[in-house]
Amino acid sequence: MGVGDVIAEFGGVYVSSLLSTWLMTIICFLGGLALGVLVTVMRVSPIKPLRVVGDFYVQLFRNIPTISLLVIFVYALPYLGLLLDYRTCLIACIILVVSSFASENFMSGINAIGVGQIEAARSVGLSFVQIVRLIVIPQALRTTVLPMTNLLIATLLTTAIGSQVPLTPPELTGMVNYVNSRSVAGISAFVVSAICYAGTALVIGYLGNKLDKRVRIVR
Amino acid sequence: MAADNTAIIQMHHVDKHYGELHVLQDINLDVQKGEVVVLIGPSGSGKSTLCRTINRLETIDSGEILFEGKPLPEEGKELAAYRAEIGMVFQSFNLFAHKSILDNVTLGPREVLGTPKAEAEMEAMELLARVGVAEQAHKVPAQLSGGQQQRVAIARSLAMHPKAMLFDEPTSALDPEMINEVLEVMVELAQEGMTMVVVTHEMSFARRVSNRVVFMADGQIMEEGTPDEFFDHPKTERAKDFLDSIRGH
Ligand SMILES: Nc1ncnc2c1ncn2[C@@H]1O[C@H](COP(=O)(O)OP(=O)(O)OP(=O)(O)O)[C@@H](O)[C@H]1O
Ligand SMILES: [Mg+2]
Repeated sequence: MGVGDVIAEFGGVYVSSLLSTWLMTIICFLGGLALGVLVTVMRVSPIKPLRVVGDFYVQLFRNIPTISLLVIFVYALPYLGLLLDYRTCLIACIILVVSSFASENFMSGINAIGVGQIEAARSVGLSFVQIVRLIVIPQALRTTVLPMTNLLIATLLTTAIGSQVPLTPPELTGMVNYVNSRSVAGISAFVVSAICYAGTALVIGYLGNKLDKRVRIVR
Repeated sequence: MAADNTAIIQMHHVDKHYGELHVLQDINLDVQKGEVVVLIGPSGSGKSTLCRTINRLETIDSGEILFEGKPLPEEGKELAAYRAEIGMVFQSFNLFAHKSILDNVTLGPREVLGTPKAEAEMEAMELLARVGVAEQAHKVPAQLSGGQQQRVAIARSLAMHPKAMLFDEPTSALDPEMINEVLEVMVELAQEGMTMVVVTHEMSFARRVSNRVVFMADGQIMEEGTPDEFFDHPKTERAKDFLDSIRGH
């Protein structure tokens, strides 16, 4: 079966799996960003135990393969009386990993701000929370557009571990199994999925670059 | 008790260490309302540290610092509110890089004092005009020269209606041709009666407007006097050597 045949026969299901991948990517990325902001605020807070917990969190989830985390979630959590469906497990795992990378990106963005601006903000009488909200986060967000673009692409590709659990509809990589168990498409099914990933990643990369040019802080 | 004391800033027996380094040693310094005190001394003598303890950007190990007769708040809301009353101008300007010049000046009043936007902007424009950078209001800091940025930093402090202002080498990072435009603004402030503590080696500024020059070395106040006394007849050897070195002898 050639690529054309695969598209002709499974086009409709491919579209739904592409949408499934996109949706998961968006949820995982936004969830990861939100959690990443929270963890980062802990890591820069004046309260030491919060900093320690934040650093530990990042080391933990940055250094475990997402697939191992998924195995733990799927097989271990039920023993703890926590029954989550496959999609929720998958999304939760990816969010944990993405948030730790997002926090690392934010930290380097924060380090680029320089202590001087923070001291100036304190001198004006801004509180810790105001400084984080008005100075640190806006600047860290702007300086991290490019690394975050890379993280978004990595998130997209990481959703491929969804192929290791049964999902309906499957995401793009699980779709390969789906096609190959119903026909003899062989490599063609991979090619179609690969094109979808690469196309999406190219668009993300392009938009990320444009956004970066718009919001970048001139120093 | 000390009802007759009009000193707005009082430092009594202040000590501070950085690890082994005794960076402030038994500092006693009173600054009267409206007084302009110049801090001078060799690099590493503790001038910046002293200046920064006054708005508690640095904590102290022992002794006490009073502002308007009251000990400085230690932390939290009270400390933030206290800092809002003290302006601080840094060597490296430290403008908020992602905000326009106008927003740099209005941020404090709007967020800390709760001034409505329109009112804050009107006052900010007046201040920017006063320091001579009104035309730059809608640019971002990186588009301004160092001298312009420092004048904006002064306007940003003034927007909070501070009761006193601290300057830590405000002209040291500037190209020579920009030093005067910043000093002019500071001279005006001094003449209007602002209480100022200024770390600077600009003798012309010290002579023109300061009431007192305080000479520091090795974490101690070695001597103090009127600018003419100090520059023309320094008492200690350390001060004489230091003055020779900055005069290029
Ligand atoms: N955060 C810090 N940790 C450790 N040592 C410090 C710290 N800040 C300053 N020091 C040391 O304290 C001493 C006094 O520093 P300070 O910046 O107050 O000197 P200064 O008189 O302002 O010097 P300069 O003219 O170079 O600005 C120096 O030896 C400096 O290295
Ligand atoms: Mg200094």
